[in-house]
Amino acid sequence: MSPAVRAVFELAPYLAALAAGALLPRRSGWAERAALGLTAALALALVRGLWPGAAPAPAPSPALEWPHLLNVIVFLPLVGAAAILFLPRQSPTLLRRFTLGILVLDLVASLFLLRASPERGWHFQFIADWLPSFGIRYHVAIDGISLWLVLLTTFTTPIAAFVSFGSLKTRVKDLCFSFLLLQGGMLGAFVALDLFLFYVFWELMLVPMLLLIGVWGGVERIKAAYKFFLYTMAGSVLMLAAILYLVWSHREVAGYLTFDYLALSRLVLPKTAAWLCFGAFLLAFAIKVPMFPLHTWLPDAHVQAPTGGSILLAAVLLKLGTYGYLRFCMGMFGGPAWGAAATLASVAIFGGILYGALCAWKQDDIKRLVAYSSVAHLGFVMLGLFAGTRAGVEGAILVMINHGIATGALFLLVGVIYDRRHTRMVREFGGLARPMPIYTAVFVLVTMASIGVPGTNGFVGEFMVILGTFTSMTLGSNAQMQGVAAAFGVILAAVYMLSVVQKVFFGPVTNPKNAHLPDLSARETIALAPLVALIFVLGLFPRILTDRMHDSVDAVLERYREGRLAHQELPEHATTARLRDRRGGPLERGYPKSPEEREAEAAKLAAATAPASAPAAQGAPQ
Amino acid sequence: MSPLYTALLCTFLPLAAALVLVLVSPLRRAGLAAGLFSVATALIAFGGAVTLLLERWSGAATPVRETVRWLPHAGLGGGAHARAVIELGVQIDGISATMLVVVTAVAACVQIFSLGYMAGEPKPDFGRYFTWQSLFLFSMNSLVVAPNLLQLFLGWELVGLVSYLLIGYWWSKPSAARAAMKAFWMTKLADMGLILALLVLFVDTGSFDWTVTTSAAGAVTLLLFFAVMGKSAQFPLHVWLPDAMEGPTPVSALLHAATMVAAGVFLVVRAFPLFEQAPTTGLVMAYVGAFTALFAAVIAVVQTDIKKVLAYSTCSQLGYMVAALGAGSQVGGFFHLTTHACFKALLFLAAGSIIHGVHSNELSHMGGLWSRMRVTSVAFLVGALALAGVPGLAGFFSKDLILEHVLERGLWAPLGALLVAAFLTAFYMGRVTLVALFGRPSAHAEHAHEGGVSLLAPLVVLAVPAAGVGWLGAKLSGLYAAPVHFHLSPVGMVATGLALAGLGLAYWMFGAPQGGGRLRAAFAPIGRLARSGAVNARFAWGYGVLGGVSSIFAWFDRYVIDGLMNGLGYATLALGARLRGLQTGRAQDYVYVLVAAMLGVGAYGAFWSR
Repeated sequence: MSPAVRAVFELAPYLAALAAGALLPRRSGWAERAALGLTAALALALVRGLWPGAAPAPAPSPALEWPHLLNVIVFLPLVGAAAILFLPRQSPTLLRRFTLGILVLDLVASLFLLRASPERGWHFQFIADWLPSFGIRYHVAIDGISLWLVLLTTFTTPIAAFVSFGSLKTRVKDLCFSFLLLQGGMLGAFVALDLFLFYVFWELMLVPMLLLIGVWGGVERIKAAYKFFLYTMAGSVLMLAAILYLVWSHREVAGYLTFDYLALSRLVLPKTAAWLCFGAFLLAFAIKVPMFPLHTWLPDAHVQAPTGGSILLAAVLLKLGTYGYLRFCMGMFGGPAWGAAATLASVAIFGGILYGALCAWKQDDIKRLVAYSSVAHLGFVMLGLFAGTRAGVEGAILVMINHGIATGALFLLVGVIYDRRHTRMVREFGGLARPMPIYTAVFVLVTMASIGVPGTNGFVGEFMVILGTFTSMTLGSNAQMQGVAAAFGVILAAVYMLSVVQKVFFGPVTNPKNAHLPDLSARETIALAPLVALIFVLGLFPRILTDRMHDSVDAVLERYREGRLAHQELPEHATTARLRDRRGGPLERGYPKSPEEREAEAAKLAAATAPASAPAAQGAPQ
Repeated sequence: MSPLYTALLCTFLPLAAALVLVLVSPLRRAGLAAGLFSVATALIAFGGAVTLLLERWSGAATPVRETVRWLPHAGLGGGAHARAVIELGVQIDGISATMLVVVTAVAACVQIFSLGYMAGEPKPDFGRYFTWQSLFLFSMNSLVVAPNLLQLFLGWELVGLVSYLLIGYWWSKPSAARAAMKAFWMTKLADMGLILALLVLFVDTGSFDWTVTTSAAGAVTLLLFFAVMGKSAQFPLHVWLPDAMEGPTPVSALLHAATMVAAGVFLVVRAFPLFEQAPTTGLVMAYVGAFTALFAAVIAVVQTDIKKVLAYSTCSQLGYMVAALGAGSQVGGFFHLTTHACFKALLFLAAGSIIHGVHSNELSHMGGLWSRMRVTSVAFLVGALALAGVPGLAGFFSKDLILEHVLERGLWAPLGALLVAAFLTAFYMGRVTLVALFGRPSAHAEHAHEGGVSLLAPLVVLAVPAAGVGWLGAKLSGLYAAPVHFHLSPVGMVATGLALAGLGLAYWMFGAPQGGGRLRAAFAPIGRLARSGAVNARFAWGYGVLGGVSSIFAWFDRYVIDGLMNGLGYATLALGARLRGLQTGRAQDYVYVLVAAMLGVGAYGAFWSR
């Protein structure tokens, strides 16, 4: 078979998907049809590309991992944000296109991350000295966990920006700047493996979010923005203090300064210090997640934020809290994290899953309701992490991704009726299924994903979290009761989501203002299509996600266990920290070198190059 | 075609039909074409199911079981579970082949019936209806062919979802939307039992198979039975089923009489190896089932809505099946499921035809239909007699089998309840038949007339098995268990006698115009009790309490927790305002403080720090 013919055969399914997506739906605009077709083709490509074949795939060599890829992904939006400053404020179309172009380019670039092998260890690692005198390095890498969070970020930001450009017409330049800066900050925080670098990105993303809420928000936007900012700052300042203490302790033991995660996670602190540092990190992450009782900034922020801001807040920003707990609290403070897990799991269940769901039920503002449902869903994530079993942690990561997609779509949908009616009060609506049938269908579908009906993406993650909780040793004798309580949360999700669906969409049209609302516009359809496609793709083929995270999750759990054992072996009244043994292997690739090692290496390099160059120099004249 | 591919065809063809109807909106909006398309796929699926059953019938085929890995390594981090995988697949044996035929046959009949019954709907809604019908067939079939409990659970949830969509088909009616939501909630509550059963089983054995031996059989089966109580409407989780009658009548026939509500019973039949390991659960099931059979039959006696009568009758018959399974009779439960699916689907469709003719559900609006709607009336009569257990018709055989098994086990109280229920069943079916078909015609019924051929053909088709499927009992039971030999037992004769007495009483009370007036008055308190809905009230109360707690929490969250945080903010501001006073801006004050501090430090250094 000639290559041309084979190419036709290989392309045929994608073309068919493209054609089906473009021709089948009853939409009018060509742009919309093109986008829907593209979504269909991409969804197919995603499934086919990621589907693990029967034979083991040939292990990609590290040569496939272009070391600058992460730099490109992180700095493309940041450079773009700087470039925006030099574009004319008077041409909003140019600004929008430029921003979307950068974001889409970033999405495409991030897809290349999938070439990383699923083996344990750090991929696409890049290390450079930044402030050598303080031991601060620019160290970025991904593993099977952060990979998916990076992809979630690059996937949702273009959608959020695209939606915002439809409804926000003022200060477009500032809006574009905020989106790009936010994107850079979030991505950086997910890939940073140097605690200083992580802190910089962690704080960096606060600013654009503050702008998004404070400039384009609702009536009480300033108050909500302040609340969001102060809350998060309060947590992260304590985290900074803990980071500094860790670095100082590490210098006491090892003799040199470093902020590197790989080095600091070897540190075994005296018990009191370990608990205090763990507490500081936990506070920062628990505020971000948010966990009960530190969650009250979230409903306010969501209600006031514009649609695009809400999407990013729910889909990505909250995940930084859960990711931070997984990476830093479980990775560096295995002992205290293990010790606190049972208590915290109860908080996650009763304060998050159950309390959040019950609070959601009686909200009169739909956005507030979705915000509380986020509290409940993230309770599931935290529960899976606290359980500390493989099923629990993998389930938690699945819920993170799925919550990003489903809740992102829900906020987008709420934004749609807000744009039309400028209200989100449940009592203002009723019988919307009559004027807006497509909108209703999509809303019900996303609701089902949010409830966790099998076949949609919401199911697998929650099921695995409950499974992981059920079998957890960490949670002790209460684990099974906690599993039962968490399962109740699934019912409550059906209670609050279906009652709002019934009130808003079913029954007769009660308010004459709603009688002639237009259905989804082209822009809204294009923005929703990829989310809806992913709801099904990830719901039917969860292996796409899990196959690439097994090894990394195992590595995290191993580190967690080792940290706990080291913590327990420490004498009760030890006052000095010590270092665990080096474990070597791919997980410690890029470990920061001490000054002595560096000197020795430099000497060796000089020794190696000097004789080599000497004969060459001698040989030249002959 | 190999059995595997036939089974896959039966399962996925309806899904393909549903997807096509969702995506190709011109077809969906074309109305009748969408319906015919869906019916065609259902008929093909039915053909496939019949092929599968016939292969087993001839005795040549062995059970087929094929699986694929869905989620590998869902292990729990070590030990025996490390290599556990979650599989999906197909299992075809006597049980699933029989059930496939039942499901696809009833579904095909119901879809054909719907072509006529729903003809007055707007075209897009008509297409939507058939989309969901196809989706239902896929969900139900994937449940039926499931090789393990996990896939059964997936199908179980999906049929619940489709049930939500179909009950709420007339969503602009608030009562329908509420009923849909209630059904979803109640079954979701019960599904928790299934989830937890899966977890306990998986933790104990590392597998979702029903063939495993587990030490936690008691817990697993009790949890499973909780799910069954929700899906198969056993007391006290039955409250959603009567409300579910808000859906179109063909939907009631398919989902809420013949197939979906029987999924719970099917689950027990499937997981019977597990249930055999837990005798206590069996006892619980026998008592709950028998009580439901009696309780629902009593309520059915006083209902005035023809669909409500049939709904409570469904509850009652499901109670029979559950009691049979509890008494350890897999064959009895499953065979009654089969026969019940035939005659109850027939009854519902005939009722649908009557409602179509009379434009009302109320029994008092009917009467005298025997002369106006002859085909429907005959079909209804066949169904009613089969349900009542008249000798020779389907219900007679399966009911007899169940009673015999319950007697064998020495379960006297359930046996008594079931016998009384058999009497009441005959009585209420006699009442409905006499009032609706032979009573004095009301104003509504004056102009009743038969519908088109699509309304009548399914009735005729279904009337055949409703009358005759009982004779196949020995052969059918031989497909998955030791063949049962039917014979007229003493308890069966008692039951038959009671059934005939029930019919006679019904005739005495409702056949003659003035008969049994005093007895009729005696039923009034039961009627009031049933209508006041004591159980329903409990659930409404629970719902109210949950809602109240929710409101309190919402208030607490907004004003106490958030209030505390805001208070902290205001306190900081207030403190700042107060402290601002220290910065007076006068040099003298600063010098005072400076000197005082120097003196203090000096004093500390001089006296205390040695």
